[in-house]
Amino acid sequence: MKKILLLLTSAILLLASCVDEEERPDTPMGNFEALWQIVDERYCFFDYKQHEYGLDWQAVYQKYKVRVNEKMTEMQLFEVLCDMLSELRDGHVNLSSSYDYGRYWAWQEAFPKNFSDSLSRIYMGTDYKISSGMRYRVLDDNIGYIRYESFLNPIGEGNLDDVLAYLALCQGIIIDIRNNGGGDLTYAEMLAARFVNEKTLVGYMQHKTGKGHNDFSALEPQYLEPSSKLRWHKPVCVLTNRSVYSAANEFATMMKALPQVKIVGDRTGGGSGMPMSSSLPNGWSVRFSACPMYDKDKQQTEFGIEPDVKVGQTDEDYAKGLDTIIEAARKLLAE
Amino acid sequence: MKTISKILAVGCWLLAIGSSAQAQSDSAKIITSSRMIGIGGTHILDTYLSAEHFKGVGISFLATVERKRPHRRWSTLMEHEANLSLVHDRANSKKELEGVYNFYFGKLYNWSLLDDRLTLQAGGVANATLGFIYNTSNGNNPAQARAHLNIMPTAVAAYRFTLFNKPMLVRYEVNLPLAGVMFSPNYGQSYYEIFNRGNYDHNVVLTSFVNAPEWRQMLTIDANLKGSWALRIGYLGNYQQYKVNNLKQHVYTHRFLIGFTRRFSLTPRSL
Repeated sequence: MKKILLLLTSAILLLASCVDEEERPDTPMGNFEALWQIVDERYCFFDYKQHEYGLDWQAVYQKYKVRVNEKMTEMQLFEVLCDMLSELRDGHVNLSSSYDYGRYWAWQEAFPKNFSDSLSRIYMGTDYKISSGMRYRVLDDNIGYIRYESFLNPIGEGNLDDVLAYLALCQGIIIDIRNNGGGDLTYAEMLAARFVNEKTLVGYMQHKTGKGHNDFSALEPQYLEPSSKLRWHKPVCVLTNRSVYSAANEFATMMKALPQVKIVGDRTGGGSGMPMSSSLPNGWSVRFSACPMYDKDKQQTEFGIEPDVKVGQTDEDYAKGLDTIIEAARKLLAE
Repeated sequence: MKTISKILAVGCWLLAIGSSAQAQSDSAKIITSSRMIGIGGTHILDTYLSAEHFKGVGISFLATVERKRPHRRWSTLMEHEANLSLVHDRANSKKELEGVYNFYFGKLYNWSLLDDRLTLQAGGVANATLGFIYNTSNGNNPAQARAHLNIMPTAVAAYRFTLFNKPMLVRYEVNLPLAGVMFSPNYGQSYYEIFNRGNYDHNVVLTSFVNAPEWRQMLTIDANLKGSWALRIGYLGNYQQYKVNNLKQHVYTHRFLIGFTRRFSLTPRSL
């Protein structure tokens, strides 16, 4: 009987135990603490950024805690929290409220754009073709030109078949992803798969396994499988600038691993952490990098990748109506 | 209010049809079949999607069938439970949509006491859970899949009595956690890694009453209407919770139920 009573007591105690998480109060300090903790437990680049520029998240806490008080307005709190997040120097870290979108965009805003809409219109003309997310045409020197300005715009295998078939007689193609701020990684992979003939190692990926700054899974190799459809064997130039970010940065990383591909232009913006989201007591959304991706040499690409041929737009060329980066790629493909 | 009453009336009519159809497919057993719909509160925490708690309202459909041969001690219990909830955070700024289907199948040993007025049952059920939680605000990790196979020790007590010359039955069922296996992404693992890349990492997790102390209870009262038919009202509480891969999740549902139950015996037709 004693055993039965003990079992019953244990069962009741067990049922009383809830799987729960402490809720921070919806106050300026509560929201500050909640945001700091979410990032502390889930952000994936602390170790790398401490090494790169001395990021110390604990010191960040002390630095910004004194700027928070219970009398501050929502807008003041938003500004302090965005300032705190900007210490991470990460375009994938954002704070969203109904009236503003907190961001760190210095990785593109602090550098020359190296892209001009006016020049793009000169090169594209008016008789270019559009296949879903891609615009394309054949340039005068028989170079194919594909403009893919956002991986948010979907493409399908049929689109790629049609575009590559149309450009099949060209001696090379330019894939212009300047200003492509990312989107769906599967579109980037689908496009890159048209340029490999065998399973090719293009990078690595891992994720956090716990709350510690160094709790990570093993690096998993990422392979590019060749497409079973129409593939391109001739030379390719991928055009980049500082606004190439996230999935577009990953596309550049994959393409850089291929022998017949040259990356031409400026360094990419980076953004190699696949983001996740959470929210604060006051309802603001926070986005943060959660799963780091690496290149084929296991090097971080969070702060971008260097092009094979570094070229910037010149004022002289602009005055002549020439896109210096496209012209550099045309020369490379003509050689 | 009128609209809700109409929906409930139509729902009850459909439940009655369902119960009747079920009866014709069984034979040589005493069958207690019920169909109920429920409405009530839902509480959700899923730290993979958000650090915040979400609360709101949900609806449920519950179908139960219990089969027992006369003079045998063992009976079979089968329950289908489907839930759909819409919940929001405390700032009423973010929303989550939760849907789940739970199937329970088990065997219970029966004791009849107090001149058959009190029936006690004990045994176990196998529970299969399949569902999702969708956060309408998250752009990058918007959804969490839920899949769990679970063995649950189960106890039932049912007492027959008469009130205002009406035969009544009050029944209480409790399902407790024991052990199982469930799907979960790892702490910071994206679904892209799992489904696009095939990078598995502790995604199939063994559960027990320690890391998955989920349980469920149901209290119902049947009031006999006519013949084998009875009106059933009650409460269903399902408290599903897990703590695996450094992630925490709980989905607590409280439902006030209404429906019909029918108890009848089917004898095999001789040729």
